[in-house]
Amino acid sequence: MKLFLEQILQSSKVLPLPIMTHPGIEALGKSVRDAVTDGMTQYQAIKYLSDNFDTIACTTIMDLTVEAEAFGAKINFPEHEVPSVSERLVVDLESVELLEVPSLEKGRIPQFLLANKLSAENIKNKPVFSGCIGPFSLAGRLYDMSEIMVAIYIEPEIVLQLLSKCTEFLVNYCKALKATGTAGVIIAEPAAGLLSDDDCLEYSSNFVKQIVDSVQDETFTIILHNCGNTGHCTNAMIASGAKALHFGNAINMEDVLKQCPKDIVVMGNLNPVGVFKQGTRESVRKATRKLLDETAGYPNFVISSGCDLPPFVPEENINAFLETVEEFNSKQYT
Amino acid sequence: MNQELLEKLSECVEFGKINLASPYPPQMKGLPGADEITKEALEAGVTPTEILNDALITAMNKVGQKFSENKIFVPQMLLSAKAMSASMMHLKPFFANGSVKRKGTFILGTVYGDLHDIGKNLFGMMVEGAGWEVIDLGIDVKIEKFVEAVQQNPNAVVGISALLTTTMVHMKPVIDAIRIAVPETKIIVGGAPLSAEFASSIGADGYGKNPQEGIMWLDKISA
Repeated sequence: MKLFLEQILQSSKVLPLPIMTHPGIEALGKSVRDAVTDGMTQYQAIKYLSDNFDTIACTTIMDLTVEAEAFGAKINFPEHEVPSVSERLVVDLESVELLEVPSLEKGRIPQFLLANKLSAENIKNKPVFSGCIGPFSLAGRLYDMSEIMVAIYIEPEIVLQLLSKCTEFLVNYCKALKATGTAGVIIAEPAAGLLSDDDCLEYSSNFVKQIVDSVQDETFTIILHNCGNTGHCTNAMIASGAKALHFGNAINMEDVLKQCPKDIVVMGNLNPVGVFKQGTRESVRKATRKLLDETAGYPNFVISSGCDLPPFVPEENINAFLETVEEFNSKQYT
Repeated sequence: MNQELLEKLSECVEFGKINLASPYPPQMKGLPGADEITKEALEAGVTPTEILNDALITAMNKVGQKFSENKIFVPQMLLSAKAMSASMMHLKPFFANGSVKRKGTFILGTVYGDLHDIGKNLFGMMVEGAGWEVIDLGIDVKIEKFVEAVQQNPNAVVGISALLTTTMVHMKPVIDAIRIAVPETKIIVGGAPLSAEFASSIGADGYGKNPQEGIMWLDKISA
């Protein structure tokens, strides 16, 4: 298989990569709870999407609690929604000092590794991307999101120590994901988008960079996703060293493309709720076409959803998106 | 002297200086914060109403404006809100005995099924800083709890928050139940996946894209 980044940068077409697993889960008649607790179900959902939608890659589920659970956080598992952390795990310097970096045997980590392994082994026609939470977002889940926002100014030493432990775990986890044979990992760092550029650099990107330096190479790409960035912390995202950056719908893609170096793949950013979930076939086509027109001329652009597609997105809207990209490519280049 | 104290207090809230012990912001390290200055102002004869109107509300307006212009971000806004809360603690007895009037009562909660609270907390603190009494029902708030709170505070405005696409659909049943219990209740909704169109479709009176928009809506309906 051609290397992922090479494939994108050398392509004369705009390539589509919606971040999605929920449509596959629903097509199988399974619940989100099934998919986030059972690696085989998650794999089957990914395989279904790979077989039925002509995208350039597949992605595993954006769960964002599996890592916090490994640390010992209590998790709430609704049937048809991704899980959430139900209470903070650490509250002060002492509890952070006592916090152990967990092994990869904890919680649902083995099931997630299984889903990645099965996907990488059985999906041969396109790359599979693993997923994990970013260090600042993980630290926020363990310390409480509101509290960590204040703590970076009041008690930064606690936050930095917690971030070191989160990053150590994430490096280990990403190495294990890489070993399953996937093509890279999407690191979801939405909470860092609530910070200024300087703070995003200090409390997120500097730690993401440690993961990048540990696992990124020609065969394994880091895609850094930050859907909270409204344009104010793009420089910090670039500084992470990730070869691909993925943006949410709150940002202007043309501005981002102007700002990012041309050898970084830039992905985004159709509204997963307003366009994909709540839209109609026609409104999806219109929004997709508008974004394609605005970003034309940037070979490093990959058209994507601004975040993972939520549950219960109509399949016809996904098809409308893919058809519009295909039509754009054929008109543009024939 | 009194004016100087009000200006100092306003500065503490605007820049998030909570108390003497707080190291933030660095340029105010070692100086008294909102906590100490409020105490000093009350002892010097500044009225609680002056503190609320001429320091806290003024400062939080500036904070909201700077946030909406991307000049400050969530951490700085939360620190300002904490400084405001530290000041407000000294005003509580005056609210309780009725010597200081607030703009109204605002009942706030994250809709049932949803455990997210950062947006709700942020907005709640901004609303308090804008001069309202805030009753925070917390996260994962069931319909009955909203209804009970509205029945106990029939003139209150209600704010409902949701972060998830699967929980935003729970907002309509909450609104419908509140309308049955106290039909004239004004309701505002907010949260990342929402839009003005969605808010209107479920029967909400207002929608706050960001905290500042929500405050402006509250000011408008309370004028």
